[in-house]
Amino acid sequence: MSLAAGRWPEFAGPAAGAGRRPGVLVVWRLEVAKLASLLRVRAIAILCMIVPFLAVAGLNLQSATPGDTPFGQWVHVSGLAIPMVILGFGAQWLLPVLTAVVAGDIFAAEDHFGTWKTILTRSRTRGQLFAGKFAAAVTFAVAAMVVLTTADLAAGLLAGRQPVVGLGGQLVPAGHATMLVIASWASQLLPVLGFTALAVLASVATRNPVAGVGIPVLIAWLLQIVTLINLPAWGQQALLSTPFLAWHGFWAQPAFYGPFREGLLTSAGWFAVCAAASWLVFARRTIGGAA
Amino acid sequence: MTEAGFAVEALGVTKWFGETTALDQVDFRVGPGVVQGLLGPNGAGKTTLLSALFGLVLPDEGSVRLFGRTRAEAGPGWLDGVGGFVETPRFYPYLSGRRNLAVLAGLDGGDAADLVDAALDRVGLADAARRKVRGYSLGMRQRLGLAAAMIRRPRLLILDEPANGMDPAGIRDLRTALRHLARDGVSVVLSSHDMGQVEEICDCVTVLCRGRVAFAGGLEVMQAGAPDPVWLLDTSDDDAALERARQGGGVKAGRRDSGGLVVHAAQDRLDAYVLDLGRAGVAVRGLELDVTSLESLFFQLTGEPERGSPGEQSPLARPPRREREPAGQEVR
Repeated sequence: MSLAAGRWPEFAGPAAGAGRRPGVLVVWRLEVAKLASLLRVRAIAILCMIVPFLAVAGLNLQSATPGDTPFGQWVHVSGLAIPMVILGFGAQWLLPVLTAVVAGDIFAAEDHFGTWKTILTRSRTRGQLFAGKFAAAVTFAVAAMVVLTTADLAAGLLAGRQPVVGLGGQLVPAGHATMLVIASWASQLLPVLGFTALAVLASVATRNPVAGVGIPVLIAWLLQIVTLINLPAWGQQALLSTPFLAWHGFWAQPAFYGPFREGLLTSAGWFAVCAAASWLVFARRTIGGAA
Repeated sequence: MTEAGFAVEALGVTKWFGETTALDQVDFRVGPGVVQGLLGPNGAGKTTLLSALFGLVLPDEGSVRLFGRTRAEAGPGWLDGVGGFVETPRFYPYLSGRRNLAVLAGLDGGDAADLVDAALDRVGLADAARRKVRGYSLGMRQRLGLAAAMIRRPRLLILDEPANGMDPAGIRDLRTALRHLARDGVSVVLSSHDMGQVEEICDCVTVLCRGRVAFAGGLEVMQAGAPDPVWLLDTSDDDAALERARQGGGVKAGRRDSGGLVVHAAQDRLDAYVLDLGRAGVAVRGLELDVTSLESLFFQLTGEPERGSPGEQSPLARPPRREREPAGQEVR
């Protein structure tokens, strides 16, 4: 293995970056490709696909039902109750973990590997790198939610496609119940994106992958506890954990969508504030050259 | 380019980190096709200066121009035509060497991706291109860093200790490659601790000490003002050898704590001294160059102690580090 000591004619010519200047889209594409090559991202994708089926198998094996969870008492009656049991059981803590694993690491990993200097000395601006990475974290969150929703629904339909009893005691036909399952899972995307931005902020601010992943998860758990406190209505609405419960209104009789609309605003607020704060911290930091 | 045609023109660059002055009114210029050495002991400010050239660190005072343009004037294209690395090149350990370069080429845009395989071949990593970087040695990472710089088709190459971890053949080839690049018009900034390496490659040298420029100029100017090199000498009779040195001939000698003598002498004077010892019946059992002329000058300029040398006190005072003025702006 030896360096070629002679001339390097193929490296003469127009300098890199002198021609067409790729923007955020290129950074996003490269970040997504990097994520796809990470073992933990592949493991999460596989888990999202198989865990719902394992849950169905587990529930079918036991005679008792998880009666203290919404739809729990109907899991042996209709397979469509199962995705809702999983949602009711795990949404507030499982989904923040899911998005934080990537979003909490995506900036801090560059600090961990010392690669900021490598990528910031190419022909990209900080703004492009920030936007591309942020978009990649959002892409992962959306993709994970799509995979999880699809797998949950498929597992539920596999278990049985019977009508379900709604939260208002009404019988919901299978076709309508299927749409409500999809809508309920889709509504989780709003707070999940809020947690994605929160994890990015933790990742940028701490420059530590463990803290970047751990802080949003810890906040998710704390918010669950705070939810139990008798806060005024505006206080409850401001919590990022509250929009996870907005789907309850979809299954009521009659259905109501106020909590969903409020959750949309709450999630958008958390998303915007955390994204803006992340950018301010990232744009101001000095990289390298410490005395 | 500026009127003077400098690839790099940093004027009055000052950078504080808290109360520490990392760079103090540093002027640094690099012409086209020039290999410019940047020397200094640890903490001298070399890495901070290189980081400022890459825009990673914003100076608190002064200006940095690359190809005649400040960052504000050039906008996002400021680093076009600039390649290199600061400190040890870092890559994604979970990706292969080739994949790492592909990611960086993607960030560069243009046809950089087409140069990836050629660059890997040039730096001798073609066989290891598909191995994950986590398994690379330090020398291999340095080579990959050079390849990552070259795919940008640089007109200015900034390298921080590029020979670290390289085997002797790699260092030799690196020197030749850099000389060829300079001949093709590429300006090279080479930061190094190794005076011998700088002596062999560089046209001009800037020596930093405690954040200030201790010397800047051509290598021949530096050599002309350099003190005698230092030699380690073992003889059959050190007392007699010391006595012969005292009799003149432009040789200064003293005893070493570990035994033997340390001799300050230019090459021709040393030759004469060794022949004189032979005529006097004193056998020379060992002779080793300990510190070259430029190394001696470097030690004098930076105030670093020479190894095993009785040494002469430097006539050049080490530049004092300027304390930050209380009104200075906190930037970090």
